[in-house]
Amino acid sequence: MSQTSSTEEKLDHLKHYFVDSDQQFEASKMGMWVFLVTEILFFGGLFVAYIVYRSWYPELYLLASEELDTFWGAVNTAVLIGSSLTVAMAIRSAQLNQIKGLIINLWITIGLACTFMVIKYFEYSEKFAKGILPGSAYSYEGVEHEKANIFFSIYYMMTGLHGIHVLIGIGLMVWLVFKAKKKVFHSGYYTPVEITGLYWHLVDVIWIFLFPLLYLID
Amino acid sequence: MSGHHISSAKFLWGVAIALFILTFLTVAVTWIHIPGPWNVVVAIAIAVVKALIVSAFFMNLYWDSKFNVLLFVMSIAFFLLMIGITLLDTLYRTDPLPSF
Repeated sequence: MSQTSSTEEKLDHLKHYFVDSDQQFEASKMGMWVFLVTEILFFGGLFVAYIVYRSWYPELYLLASEELDTFWGAVNTAVLIGSSLTVAMAIRSAQLNQIKGLIINLWITIGLACTFMVIKYFEYSEKFAKGILPGSAYSYEGVEHEKANIFFSIYYMMTGLHGIHVLIGIGLMVWLVFKAKKKVFHSGYYTPVEITGLYWHLVDVIWIFLFPLLYLID
Repeated sequence: MSGHHISSAKFLWGVAIALFILTFLTVAVTWIHIPGPWNVVVAIAIAVVKALIVSAFFMNLYWDSKFNVLLFVMSIAFFLLMIGITLLDTLYRTDPLPSF
């Protein structure tokens, strides 16, 4: 992909051990995909726990998921899909050298990610107030099943680990905004935006599965 | 190798709208109460379609090097293997572990 534009090629980012910018970009992206593979298997363990306990106690999942508010789960799904769109738009802006658009799209993404976490905070605190806590701290009487705490332990582990990923994503995007303001990114170098985008889309994909599996059982 | 695929804004919006529609659909099918286990099958099927759309068109796997596609496919394959081997144990126990 030769750059025939009028601006001269900027190569500050190019490490001496790569042949060219494209090779460096492809190597970084492949590295990110290897990391995403480990992330899929990391969450995979929790999905396996979910499946095993669901096969053992199918009626527990039907009862306990009624405590989860489908409406707010759906809103959060829409919020994350919206943020995936703005991340994709941020990458597009970087590819087109529109640094202002990149920064705006990153800020919208950060805003949507914070919206997700605020909704999650209200969902959690509503449950904490009822005594729906993970593991042995569980003290809620409203779900008539002796293993009720197991569903909520799985719920807290899965959504909690996902929430930590959202927080890390927010941190990464704030970092990208600062980098972008220092004019680090341009159409020839936007690797951190691209691979943070990959990470963010994976966080979205995991929520796409968490939403029907936890909220939509009935 | 086309690692620098640039999607048009219209295309990205189209992808997002498709995902919003599928999100609505996955909620809407719970209103008509499909009998189990088909409700789970439908919910997972819609989630898989959404995940494929995100990975192909937002994560650009559709235009990406085949090696990255291979990495993604292999992670799913090993995830399914993990589910399968675990269920071969847990589904055929006469008694689940009493304290769990």
